[in-house]
Amino acid sequence: MSALLPVLILATSLITAAITFFLPEASRVLRNALNLGGAVLKLGLIVAMLVAVAGGAVYEASLPLAPGLVLLLRVDAIALLFVSLSGTLWLLTTVYAIAYFGTKAHQSRFFGFFSLCVAATTGLAMSGSLISFFLFFELLTLSTWPLVAHKQDGASLRAARSYLLFALPGSAALLWAIIWLESATGPVLFTEPPDLSGLDPWELRAIFALFILGVGVKAALVPLHGWLPAAMAAPAPVSALLHAVAVVKAGAFGVIRVIYDVFGPQTVAALGVGVPLAALASLTIVWGSIRALQQDEIKKRLAFSTVSQVSYIVLGAALAGPYAMIGALVHLVHQGLMKITLFFCAGIYDERAGVKRIEGLNGLGARMPWTSACFSLGALGMIGLPPMAGFVSKVYLGLGALEAGAPWVLGVLAASTLLNAAYFLPLLYRLWFLPAAGDATGDERAPVLVAPAVVTAAASLGVGALAASAVSPLRWAELIITRGYLP
Amino acid sequence: MSAIITGSPWPFLVLAWPLLLGLVPLVPAWRALAVRVLPLAPLPALGFAVLGAPGTTGMPDLLLGVELAAVPGGALFLGMTAAVWTAAGWQAALTLERGVRSGILAGFWCVTLAGNLGVFLAADVVTFYVAFAAVSLCAWVLVVHERTEAALAAGRVYIVLAVLGEAALLAGLLIGAQAGDSLQIPAVREALSDAPLGGIGLALLVTGFGIKAGMVPLHVWLPLAHPVAPVPGSAVLSGAIVNAGLIGMLLFLPPGGGWGGLLVGLGFAGAFGAALWGLTQANPKAVLAYSTVSQMGLILALVGAGQSVAFYALHHGLAKGALFLLVGVAMAATGRRRAATLALAGLIALSVAGLPLTGGGLAKAAAKSGLAPALALAVTLSGVTTTLVLGWFLWLLARDDKRAQGQPWGALIAGAGALGLAAVLVPWALWSGATDLPVGYALRSGAVVEALWPMLLGLGVLAVLCRRPVPTQPPGDLLHLLPARAVGWRLPDIEPTPPFGARRGGLRLLVRAARIDAVLSRWPMAGALLVAGVVAFALLLP
Amino acid sequence: MSALLACLVLPLLGALAAVALPRRAVAAVLAGVVALTLVAAVGLAVAVHSGGVVRLALGGWSPPLGIALAADGLGAAFVLLTALVMAGVAAAARDEMTPQGAGPRAAFGFWPLMLLLWGALNAVFLSRDLFNLYVGIELLTLAAVALVAIGGRAEAIAAAMRYLIFALAGSLLYLAGVVLIYGAHGTLDIDLVAARDAAAPDGLALALMTAGLLVKTALFPFHVWLPPAHASAPAPASALLSALVPKASFVILLRLWFEAMPDLGTDRALLLLGVLGAAAILWGSLRALVQARLKLIVAYSTVAQLGYLFLVFPLAGGAAGAQPWTAGAWTGAIFQALSHGLAKAAMFLAAGLFMAAAGSDRLGALRGLARVMPMTAFAFALASVTLISLPPSGGFTAKYLLMTSSFAAGQWIWALVMTLGGLLTAGYLYRPMAALFAREGGEGVQTVARARQAVPLVLAGLAILLGILSAAPFDFLQIGRPEAAEEGP
Repeated sequence: MSALLPVLILATSLITAAITFFLPEASRVLRNALNLGGAVLKLGLIVAMLVAVAGGAVYEASLPLAPGLVLLLRVDAIALLFVSLSGTLWLLTTVYAIAYFGTKAHQSRFFGFFSLCVAATTGLAMSGSLISFFLFFELLTLSTWPLVAHKQDGASLRAARSYLLFALPGSAALLWAIIWLESATGPVLFTEPPDLSGLDPWELRAIFALFILGVGVKAALVPLHGWLPAAMAAPAPVSALLHAVAVVKAGAFGVIRVIYDVFGPQTVAALGVGVPLAALASLTIVWGSIRALQQDEIKKRLAFSTVSQVSYIVLGAALAGPYAMIGALVHLVHQGLMKITLFFCAGIYDERAGVKRIEGLNGLGARMPWTSACFSLGALGMIGLPPMAGFVSKVYLGLGALEAGAPWVLGVLAASTLLNAAYFLPLLYRLWFLPAAGDATGDERAPVLVAPAVVTAAASLGVGALAASAVSPLRWAELIITRGYLP
Repeated sequence: MSAIITGSPWPFLVLAWPLLLGLVPLVPAWRALAVRVLPLAPLPALGFAVLGAPGTTGMPDLLLGVELAAVPGGALFLGMTAAVWTAAGWQAALTLERGVRSGILAGFWCVTLAGNLGVFLAADVVTFYVAFAAVSLCAWVLVVHERTEAALAAGRVYIVLAVLGEAALLAGLLIGAQAGDSLQIPAVREALSDAPLGGIGLALLVTGFGIKAGMVPLHVWLPLAHPVAPVPGSAVLSGAIVNAGLIGMLLFLPPGGGWGGLLVGLGFAGAFGAALWGLTQANPKAVLAYSTVSQMGLILALVGAGQSVAFYALHHGLAKGALFLLVGVAMAATGRRRAATLALAGLIALSVAGLPLTGGGLAKAAAKSGLAPALALAVTLSGVTTTLVLGWFLWLLARDDKRAQGQPWGALIAGAGALGLAAVLVPWALWSGATDLPVGYALRSGAVVEALWPMLLGLGVLAVLCRRPVPTQPPGDLLHLLPARAVGWRLPDIEPTPPFGARRGGLRLLVRAARIDAVLSRWPMAGALLVAGVVAFALLLP
Repeated sequence: MSALLACLVLPLLGALAAVALPRRAVAAVLAGVVALTLVAAVGLAVAVHSGGVVRLALGGWSPPLGIALAADGLGAAFVLLTALVMAGVAAAARDEMTPQGAGPRAAFGFWPLMLLLWGALNAVFLSRDLFNLYVGIELLTLAAVALVAIGGRAEAIAAAMRYLIFALAGSLLYLAGVVLIYGAHGTLDIDLVAARDAAAPDGLALALMTAGLLVKTALFPFHVWLPPAHASAPAPASALLSALVPKASFVILLRLWFEAMPDLGTDRALLLLGVLGAAAILWGSLRALVQARLKLIVAYSTVAQLGYLFLVFPLAGGAAGAQPWTAGAWTGAIFQALSHGLAKAAMFLAAGLFMAAAGSDRLGALRGLARVMPMTAFAFALASVTLISLPPSGGFTAKYLLMTSSFAAGQWIWALVMTLGGLLTAGYLYRPMAALFAREGGEGVQTVARARQAVPLVLAGLAILLGILSAAPFDFLQIGRPEAAEEGP
């Protein structure tokens, strides 16, 4: 059983993907039932595993490939954090996507790759070895490309190409790092830290840099972030998934893995690479926010906001202390909930009111109160206002920064708060306080489209307001830290 | 799983009740009438304060573990805050036009109130911060309620400063919490005075609280916001909300140290400077705003000097709330009613200036007891400027010709008057509990003289001023010194391009490189290469 | 043992039958031969897997008197690869190589030539004798040249002629080397040559044979014959030519440098092979990047992909003795050959289907075809995944093994070349993919039956499967591995 569950979890989305590809375009009911069923089943399995893992269980399944290549799926607390996030948001995004696409074309293709993308994310989360991680990392790259290109218009294709042009060199760098490291240490499993004594410090620094380069592309670290704002050309459900769970989170999760399971915080500190990474993350946080401030398109503004927010995770991981790490892990979940809410809402605005630019938001609050309320909650959370989720992350990151002896990070967090406020509050102001243009239309008579946003918005409020309760992501992050990373 | 609520439910109810009422406008059918419930929202807090703010509530699941208990001196602050909010709520219920906009106001009003009460009940820094953020940010809606150009501009300044304050506050609190390894306020306060980063932390806290408390030079939002906010909004902003900043200073600043000096300096700068600048204003509410800055300056100076200020703040809060409300009452009155309103305002103004036998006189006397002579003199002198600025306010109010039709003057004056009379009388009732001075202390002849001469001097100067007023200035003083705001500031639109884009030049080069293949496939060349290959291998092999 | 023999004999018999029998009977016989040979190849692989190296001394005479055949892991793997690709091509060509579709001459000539090629390939993969290898590769060349020319168009004839001349020059050089060996040692059996006493002409002999085989493998700078030849042959023929034919001469090179004369491999000579391989990777990829026709892109891709194979020499070869990383490098190179064979066959067959549908293989004509032929487009994409060496494909396993070895050996420059090559591969394969998946276009093209579309998909899927299930093939390749590529201490 313990080997079966991880495989089953993966299979729920892989099999869904495989069948969906071959479904005729017309069989909507079957396709929707299949995708929803897969997502619900997966969520059920996740809940079962959550209970077991909280009690101390660990699930493992492995498939040995050629020597040195071990495909290892391992579900422990940290893997499950990411798996739960992706599983939950997959279900919600599927619901949203079904409503969003309605009767539009190419849905079999879309949902097929969509499930594949989730399978890749789940696999990546469960990866127990570097090579498995790389494998799913690449699968993710490939399965997101058709999603970004889905509309097949000029902008989408350009965005998709740009995505590959960033992602593939990133993958190459990651592969280099892995192979360089493993040629000296043998296969690296996340459970046992590799013996790095065979490599001299400069080699290790170079390997670390290559690792960061590799996962940094997906995490959209400046200056490797160019693809992310372009990728907002994708349909809204894709953007939602891309920005909340799939790609950028894979990168951020990779940073966590590299720092904690490959090198180990002590080695990172000894090599002196943590501070430069933290500085890079800080630069990304500030730069992304400044660029967001300049955008007039809602989704683009949100995209740059993602650039900035995901680096909170990188920052926490780079600071390498228990508090910072809790902050990083919990932000992985929190940012996902908040950002997916925002993208859901951006999609609803586009779909129901034809609003793409921020001027169009004027007065929409009255016309689309549910959507706008969700959007507002997400935005306030992003700023880090209590009692939203973002606040909890920020508190832990700030404490972690001080603990790690990097008080300047507080300045970064403060600057980010201000900039976030600067680019989100005007949107809320437009929504609620400005009169609508005379010819504005729009309604939200699409409950299936709005419901997922309501759920995620409520969740991002709940996980913040009830952060101290026994079942919050924060508690889970603390569990991870006490189990694995406390010396 | 632990219990959801531990300890006494009362502190929790104090906060939960207004939050619950805040949900009323969410129901569309009730939205237009939501303002009517506003006077009810602070009532549990009022009762709680009268009972002496007993009990502690713990909510371990909420946020990072919420603990509620009245802070030291909290009952006074709670009571005063609740009283101001009740009176203001009463007036809001009577005067604000019914509609969606007032429904929105009602919702935010309740959240702001809960936050305002929360800062006096928080036992841990996270709860404190949450409450502070609630009061600070939600009050923005009170400022922009009218949606006029001026209101929105003032709102912009307000929100910028509020968010700045929040960021500074969070950073400062985090420094304290990390150094103290605890979220409890006393531990954080301890840690801040010792920690290596404590200095920075305190500076951040003083900035954050200073913005809210109207400390010079962070006070600029006050004179902008008050003239444009609706009257009840101004009343709570000036009477109650500024005290959130004050309580922060009281809770977190360690006694003594360099901060005291700074606060005394900035405080007196505000006490005198703001009062005098208030004379350049033409709007009575702007004048009152400057008076608030001035009074808060005085209080901050007292804090810096190590005095107990709760008593003084209590009086000022009640009085200032009442004065603002009376601006609204005056608009609803004509003739004798107006005269009565102005008389009441005059009485309260005199109380604020420190007239013996009034609550203000008591408060000032208590504040001066035990103060260094130079500082005591400065406090005494502030009576001159207070008299001046409040006198100027009354003068303007008397000549103000704004009228609101069809408002129930009787009910309005009842609310505002009750608050004003509370300001004048309640200090008497609390005197023995708040200080250990004898009741007769404020009535000594020396004290009376000390209280009276600045008032008389002030009235004299005022008489001159009313004839030859100083040139009028727009509200906002220091804000106008800032360089023109960087509007339209944009970074160049540089985004990283992929590492190898389809560069035309590179492609052309590649296409041209086809010639190399052409050369390689010429027979002589191919033959030569083949021979060269054989020779090369033959040479390289042994 | 009988399986081994069957692998050699059945295709040749089939070729005879295809010429001799009346056309009506040919189809059934062909199907039988292909199926039987496939079964024999599988049987051989099973035998090698369970019992180790399968040896067969013809007529019961052991070398030096007789001629030895042997199937080690390497040989059996290539025999199996050949059988799979042949079966796939045969299935695809059933519909394409008809008198109506390709003209009577091509329809008649294709099948015997294909089977002849099959027999020759198996002979090369299974022989343990240098002269036998010469015969095999000569036969192979003739069949391959004929397959290029079979279409009959002028450019095809010209390309075939160029191919023929290059190949003959290569054969001559190889033969010269064989003669030198025989003159010096009196034997051509690989194991006996390995056990020889060193003689003066050995170096020259190896140089001649190597240069000759490099020409046949189309290694840079001798690659110029390959793209026109592969691009102008009919698609099923191109699949065979690109996927299998160069592998034969590469296997002989492996036999020479690792089994017959590993002692001769000086570092510099090995380095030269590696450098040429690296040059092929980069040059072939760059050239592929600017081609306007799909088949030329795929053909230049072959030039580049063959370059990877030659990195095995500096990584695993040499007289210095076995190193810890040599086994990885050696196996990695063979993985590359196998996965490239499967993927390239899939790619050419897919290209053939696209051409059949769109009437041209210019990239502009391919726009939007993915909507009409999703399975084929998906097969093309899967094959691309292997060629770009993304996990979990066989190409990835190959490059992982090669790159790990190059780091372990301290020769990280090869890893850099491989990485660059991977990125360039992604670049040149992106162009046809973008065209295929374009939104517009694809109107009015003929649709292709699903069964035909399935063939490339299966082959490409096998290439991926080679990566997912790489443990078993890896172990299989270790059977009978030459000592020079043994895993060192």
